[in-house]
Amino acid sequence: MGASLPPKEANLFKLIVKSYETKQYKKGLKAADSILKKFPDHGETLAMKGLTLNCMDRKSEAYELVRQGLKNDLKSHVCWHVYGLLYRSDREYREAIKCYRNALRIDPDNIEILRDLSLLQAQMRDLTGFVETRQQLLSLKPNHRMNWIGFAVAHHLNSNASKAVEILEAYEGTLEDDHPPDNERCEHGEMLLYKISLLEECGFLERALAELHKKESKIVDKLDCKEQEVSLLLKLGRLEEGEKLLRALLFMNPDNYRYYEGLQKCVGLYSENSHFSPDEIDRLDALYKSLGQQYQWSSAVKRIPLDFLQGDRFQEAAENYIRPLVTKGVPSLFSDLSPLYDHPCKVDILEQLMLKLEHSIRTTSQYPGRAEKEPPSTLMWSLFLLAQHHDRRGHYDIALSKINEAIEHTPTVIDLYSAKSRILKHAGDLAAAAALADEARCMDLADRYINSDCVKRMLQADQVALAEKTAVLFTKDGDQHNNLHDMQCMWYELASGESYFRQGDLGRALKKFLAVEKHYADITEDQFDFHSYCLRKMTLRAYVEMLRFQDRLHSHAYFHKAAAGAIRCYLKLYDSPPKSTAEEDDDMSKLLPSQKKKMRQKQRKAEARAKKEAEEKHEESSAAGASKSGKRHVKPVDPDPHGEKLLKIEDPLLEATKYLKLLQKNSPDSLETHLLSFELNMRKQKILLAFQAVKQLLRLDAEHPDSHRCLIKFFHKARSMATPMTDTEKLVWSVLEAERPTISQLHEKSLTEGNEIFLERFKDSLLHRAAVAEMLYVLEPDRKLEAIRLIEESTNNMVPKKGALGPVRGWKLKDCIEVHKLLGTVLDDNEASLRWKVRCAECFPYSTYFEGSCSSAVPNSAYNQIRKSSENGSADHLEGGETADSLASNGRLEAFKDLTICP
Amino acid sequence: MVCIRKATIDDLLAMQTCNLFCLPENYQMKYYLYHILSWPQLLYVAEDYNGRIVGYVLAKMEEESNECHGHITSLAVLRTHRKLGLATKLMNAAQNAMEQVFGAEYVSLHVRKSNRAAFNLYTETLGYKIHDVEAKYYADGEDAYDMRKQLKEKQVHHHHHHHHDHGHSHGHAHHHEHGGGCCSSVDAKVSGKKEAKAT
Repeated sequence: MGASLPPKEANLFKLIVKSYETKQYKKGLKAADSILKKFPDHGETLAMKGLTLNCMDRKSEAYELVRQGLKNDLKSHVCWHVYGLLYRSDREYREAIKCYRNALRIDPDNIEILRDLSLLQAQMRDLTGFVETRQQLLSLKPNHRMNWIGFAVAHHLNSNASKAVEILEAYEGTLEDDHPPDNERCEHGEMLLYKISLLEECGFLERALAELHKKESKIVDKLDCKEQEVSLLLKLGRLEEGEKLLRALLFMNPDNYRYYEGLQKCVGLYSENSHFSPDEIDRLDALYKSLGQQYQWSSAVKRIPLDFLQGDRFQEAAENYIRPLVTKGVPSLFSDLSPLYDHPCKVDILEQLMLKLEHSIRTTSQYPGRAEKEPPSTLMWSLFLLAQHHDRRGHYDIALSKINEAIEHTPTVIDLYSAKSRILKHAGDLAAAAALADEARCMDLADRYINSDCVKRMLQADQVALAEKTAVLFTKDGDQHNNLHDMQCMWYELASGESYFRQGDLGRALKKFLAVEKHYADITEDQFDFHSYCLRKMTLRAYVEMLRFQDRLHSHAYFHKAAAGAIRCYLKLYDSPPKSTAEEDDDMSKLLPSQKKKMRQKQRKAEARAKKEAEEKHEESSAAGASKSGKRHVKPVDPDPHGEKLLKIEDPLLEATKYLKLLQKNSPDSLETHLLSFELNMRKQKILLAFQAVKQLLRLDAEHPDSHRCLIKFFHKARSMATPMTDTEKLVWSVLEAERPTISQLHEKSLTEGNEIFLERFKDSLLHRAAVAEMLYVLEPDRKLEAIRLIEESTNNMVPKKGALGPVRGWKLKDCIEVHKLLGTVLDDNEASLRWKVRCAECFPYSTYFEGSCSSAVPNSAYNQIRKSSENGSADHLEGGETADSLASNGRLEAFKDLTICP
Repeated sequence: MVCIRKATIDDLLAMQTCNLFCLPENYQMKYYLYHILSWPQLLYVAEDYNGRIVGYVLAKMEEESNECHGHITSLAVLRTHRKLGLATKLMNAAQNAMEQVFGAEYVSLHVRKSNRAAFNLYTETLGYKIHDVEAKYYADGEDAYDMRKQLKEKQVHHHHHHHHDHGHSHGHAHHHEHGGGCCSSVDAKVSGKKEAKAT
């Protein structure tokens, strides 16, 4: 480094490098400039100066200088290395790898560059390259533990676990017998557990178990050691030993469900879908009864039997389970029972049980057959439970009357208001749900949970501004006004994105969806520092799991929602592009000159105001940033806070394609992925890709109304295409000709016939009928009236049920809204859509969408009456509330006294 | 009702969501990654019957001080899942692991002076004592209690609360000889790691 320079300058060069490493950039810059004064063309100095400037936020100069330096000294590994570091800092990893490779061509054994290269290879999952580089590092420095471990991990990642084992054993061979010293016990134990897990992964189970027994004394993490041993014993079929060990684990933690599952496997009583023979149920019952005596504190031993017991024994167990929890007032009881609602017989038993308990408490203040009196709160909690039960069953009237009674009984319990808010949401009154949640929030301003719950409801009710104001009460981090984005609060960003989308504000919606996408990109980036950290720290199992987690990161639900949301925005943007300035001018030209002038003035004023606000914000944040710590990175002001620039992109479909590709790669089994692919590719005229989407939809769920829609629309469109002229068009045609007969829904049938057959199969389902109607209209527009009739002749059938509280209607609110939109848009029939609305308002009296008679959309609804009376009494709520048990409460009450935004 | 188990990498996103939903002190994903990739034994979650994460404890070892000790970075339980003793169970699990794996002498944590509910849990149920007061510890200017609980001299047992608290005394007798190693050498930290504040 710095060769070819005289001694004085060579020392200065060393100073630049040192200053860079210690982040004393100004010092480095000065040294660089004094060399360049004498040797203005010195390549390595130019490059280092560039790298230094890069850290001082002078990016374009940095690239220019580094490139200049490289040009002047192509044979310098330093220049190439620096170029690589520059790319790396911009996350341009592929380019960086190329630079490092060039550097290594000049200086093949440079350990620093090799190490940097290996990190990038791990990051980019260039696994063969990673193995090679780690091998080279090991052969250069075999006395470093990290190099052995790195080589082994590289082979493991490259799907060669057995090679990894060999390397670790070779490494162990280099250690003294008394290894590890006291200060390395943890690391060594982790390495041993990693090796055992590798043996297990290779299927060398006996060897893994033998190794575990041999090294047991050197494994520090006893709990993991036992869990690993159980896993091996189960795989080896050594069930008796497994059982013994699992009982020991249960003794340590009787609340770990996985131990119970393992124990069931050991005694031959495990079934994937919980189907058991009567004899097996007897044995399971006996097993859990004996475990229950051993672990009286464990709630797991009491809850698990509810899954396998049936009939009378289920009823007895459920009653024993529910009673003490209602007495205690455990708010999560209903959610704990809710998985049982997949079994209709159990639902009936539960319903009767809850009614029986309620009745008994109400009339005698006792549980049936008990002498002791229950405290008054038991009635309230049993009403709470029943309200949630009826909510789940769709009996919103009863649910609301139960919860209202509970609130009347004890008006200070916050959970009741949250539950009522949830019921109203399900019933379709989003505004009332938000108001109730806000009432709950005001009862304990220090509890972020109820604040978040309220924000969620406000967003569902499309009150975005209010929601943000409310959320921000908890997100002030010192000088920062709103750190929801910095803290990666994705549920919030998604919910507001969805709300903006519903309201047609595509810019803001996109802004939020892309913010979530950015968080995922950042999380991918987060792994970079850990490639070297974990090798040092020896947390190898966690490291490898982390890499695998990163590989499937984008299949996570939040990412899926964000990407799908962004694609929808782009599709909408394509279908109805925002007005260009020319068009706006056109609109303006229709106005009188005086109006024009006023309008322009107004616009200018608004612009100036926005600019001023942005500047003030900027000053505020930079001033605060400087005062706190001189170094604090000042966040630049967002130049596009409302996403207006996002709307001005050239080609929305191209943008959408980027996100679609991520969905196709990471969520290939989601119907939504292929629906979006269909919509996008039809617009892009990519016939074969659209056809692929149709085939995927049929593969996943051929009976879904949307799959049917896409299938019909696709072939309808294909039929209407012009006769093929070019070779490509001819090719597309021949593919479709060949493929169509393979689709069982069509075969040789016409599209109209296919549509009719679909109707015949699903004629009792509202959404299927709607899909058929829509397709009928698409295929034969003059049969529109028939299509509308098809929808209107749907009946809201009762779902048969033998329970105590009457039948359940089949239609869902969400579906009815979808149908209403269909009537109003595609079928474009105002009268029919109005008729539908009236009909649905009757089915869903709480729905604001349909303006049902009980909803807050109607001025004199029961809800609005209650609101009026409760507003007067709301001050009382601040006093009480069950805050004592809330861990989430953080005592911010004082701080918020002035900030309430209660109605 | 709720399963208490060690957290896996796949739980981290849900832990972050849980944290953001109910606590005012929040962290970026990298900080969660830093914890699980440093001390995978010290993260526990409470998972409800629907597979949802309703509580967690995020803990670490303080490796730069002379006395090897653990620290609770963050503990949260959703409001909807109170009255189940989850916080106690999570804390006990993390504390046991600190002692057993890393040979921690004591465990520390910070709590807002005004947070009576949490303060009561720490003092009355879990045996923490006030060690110090840190003025203006939180971003909004509130003071924190610096609290500690001794782990090694366990003369005081809490039989009345949770019998499984004593898992360490079962099966293997020599756990006190283990550990310690991870505290004595200072390892390089992930670059750019900012110590975020605990609950």
